[in-house]
Amino acid sequence: MAEDYEPRIVAFLCKWCSSAGSDLAGVSRMEYPPNVVPIQVMCSGSISPLYIFSAFNRGADGVLVSGCHPGDCHYIKGNYYARRRLNLVKKLLEYVGLETQRFQMSWVSAAEGTKYTQIIKDFVKELKPLGPQTKLRRNP
Amino acid sequence: MAKIEDLKDEARKLLREGKVKYIIGYGAGSNGWPAAPLFIKKPEDVDKLVWDPTCVHNLVRFLVDEKRRKARQRQPDKRPVGIMVKGCDSRAVVVLLQEKFIDRNDVYILGVSCEKTGVVDDTKLAKKLPGKKAKKIEVDAQNRFVVTTEEGKTEVAAAEILAERCLECKANFPVIYDLLSGEKTKRSLDEPFGSLQKIESLSAADRWSFWKEQLDRCIRCYACRSACPMCYCDECVVDSINLAVTAETTADEKAQRIRWIQRSAESSENLVYHLVRAIHLAGRCIDCGECERACPLDIPLRFLNKKLEKEAKELFGYEVGFDAALPALVSCFRDEDPQDFIR
Amino acid sequence: MEKTLAKKSFSQWVKKLSSWSVYIPRKDEEGRWNYAEADSGGVSLDVLQTTLPPKKILFPQREVFLEFAKTLAGNRETLEIKEVLPEVKPTVIIGARPCEARAAWMLDEVFGGEFKDAYYWRRRDQTALVGFACTIPPSENCFCTSVEGSPHSEEGLDILLTDLGDRYYVQSMTAKGEKLISAAKELFEEPKPEARKQVKAAHAESEKKIRRQLKDARPIAEKLKGMFDSPLWDEESMSCLRCGICTYLCPSCHCFDISDEVDNPSPLRGQRVRTWDTCQFPDFTMHSSGHNPRPDKASRLRQRLLHKFQYFIQVYDKFMCVGCGRCITLCPVGIDIIKVLDKVRDHGA
Repeated sequence: MAEDYEPRIVAFLCKWCSSAGSDLAGVSRMEYPPNVVPIQVMCSGSISPLYIFSAFNRGADGVLVSGCHPGDCHYIKGNYYARRRLNLVKKLLEYVGLETQRFQMSWVSAAEGTKYTQIIKDFVKELKPLGPQTKLRRNP
Repeated sequence: MAKIEDLKDEARKLLREGKVKYIIGYGAGSNGWPAAPLFIKKPEDVDKLVWDPTCVHNLVRFLVDEKRRKARQRQPDKRPVGIMVKGCDSRAVVVLLQEKFIDRNDVYILGVSCEKTGVVDDTKLAKKLPGKKAKKIEVDAQNRFVVTTEEGKTEVAAAEILAERCLECKANFPVIYDLLSGEKTKRSLDEPFGSLQKIESLSAADRWSFWKEQLDRCIRCYACRSACPMCYCDECVVDSINLAVTAETTADEKAQRIRWIQRSAESSENLVYHLVRAIHLAGRCIDCGECERACPLDIPLRFLNKKLEKEAKELFGYEVGFDAALPALVSCFRDEDPQDFIR
Repeated sequence: MEKTLAKKSFSQWVKKLSSWSVYIPRKDEEGRWNYAEADSGGVSLDVLQTTLPPKKILFPQREVFLEFAKTLAGNRETLEIKEVLPEVKPTVIIGARPCEARAAWMLDEVFGGEFKDAYYWRRRDQTALVGFACTIPPSENCFCTSVEGSPHSEEGLDILLTDLGDRYYVQSMTAKGEKLISAAKELFEEPKPEARKQVKAAHAESEKKIRRQLKDARPIAEKLKGMFDSPLWDEESMSCLRCGICTYLCPSCHCFDISDEVDNPSPLRGQRVRTWDTCQFPDFTMHSSGHNPRPDKASRLRQRLLHKFQYFIQVYDKFMCVGCGRCITLCPVGIDIIKVLDKVRDHGA
């Protein structure tokens, strides 16, 4: 595919940890690829599987969900629910044949700016060879 | 197969004493399939109840209708409804109780055991006896199916025309009941989730081709959703009509309501619809097979839901439809839930 | 025009129709029949009844009406609206049953008249229907003769083929039909006198073989006028799942929804599309105020039957139901339109 293909990643970041972590990366002037569209949510547990399918449906090449580490959730238990629900989503997407690398989940705390940049860098590197996502995309 | 004389006696008694509003059971069908759902209000009609391998339908769906009917009435009749359930159907009742959609006092459960066999799949029957219409199906002493057609009787080995889900049956007699007709017998079964093997063993690209080919046929008639007892949402994600409309809702708000999935039967929209439905049924689907049976284009929908049923069991140790006190699969967690997929 | 065509020449004729898009019933590995584009896979005509009727081709599930896009030039925002009429190659649907062609004839009434539906007619004008007389009833639940149809009806068809054993009797009723024949005129022969007699006999025989009857359809239609508030509808609809299969698979059902599919909200870009809809969904009659005039299954079953057997007669003096029996065969809970109408006829008697 075209050399200049840049995957578009939609990242659902929990406000208290992961979004703060991505802010830290920005404020510290760390460099990382600009392919991410960040969406701040209150908690990773509030992510409905519908958001993920909808992101793919509207053209996302990759979707990332990032939340607080287990035990550190601002709402105590939200990330545990997310861990269970999004595991099911991942298994379902794999089962219908969507490339496994396209949907990822991570634990990023407010202090882990470096981890966040590394996750994005790795994600973009893994998505580039796969090309644009056409399977769930509406009117490709 | 169980003889349901005891069930019929109980049904007559319930209706005569006015203990139930009506009874939902199986009666004679008319469109070429020997059985159909039957609603009985009078004790003398109880004789119309039948029980044989053609009673495939999951009648629990009508409990959802009953709840809706009560919601529309000003002074609803609070008596319970009697319902005939097979083993699989009873697990649907358990899920509805689990989710507090219905109360235990709303149903009087008349359970029937499938004993050593199960129900017949119409597609498999049509393949086995092409061009012949089955008028009646019975079980003989050797647990074979005896199919009566216009030409006479034919014996068929049960495994050849049993519904696929019966081969991996989790409960061949009801797990919850007020009365049980028939014996609590054990059956020999296939390996649980064995039927998923043939899809899981394909490569990712082949799996995609398989699902795309199957779901491209979908015409979005939503029969799968209508037949499922667990799809009881008043406002489904595909309708997105926003029932909370008041006199103050502006025209703009109504026009810009969220539409997650378009109505067009395009490949991507069909996939998203079925994926959303599968995930909404995770930990709730009890594999009654109604979605697949209702589908006019024979899309193998059970295999979408079955995959999540397997993951629920293997990843989270969760079994659907046995314990009404259990929280929903996605509303609970364990400390040891796997997180190897998380970076 | 009347001709005969040897059965062994049939596939050659289909091959000669390469300047048309040809749709024929095709069987898949699971034994399901559906209309699909003909390819080199050959033509098999032992089809009984397809799951989806040919209305899928004449009136597709999704039809784009227009495209809209906003462009920004300097400070000026302009909205461009472009009508999208379907570009249709001449099409022929081979293997339609007379009932399905009659249904197309009904759709012609609905989409024609004083205000013609441009999208429908773009397709219809380019489509020819080649039908087969039903020498054996395609379905257990056929009842076309009860609703003023017949297994050899010519209404809606351009060509009617009748099976005479080793050959087909070919009757062409329209100019489109003649054009199809002249594409391979060397394959067709003049019919011999005994062929005409055989056809008449075959047609008479086929009428006797129809499996199911609905007696007194016209008096039932009259009686339905007074049955709007009858408790019969509640009883008969108890087991309805409101799944929509009866209407989606009906050859003459044509209700639709129009919605805007927005690709991009800003700058605004999208399409206005028409998709299939069904009176059996509760949302079909949901008003924006929240009121729903058909909130329960009884009113929706009544609507379906009245539309097919009463309203259509009032407006067009025809039964909208063509008696194909699909709604009976495919209803997951066995609701049988013939039995319900029998109850209507005997109600109060």
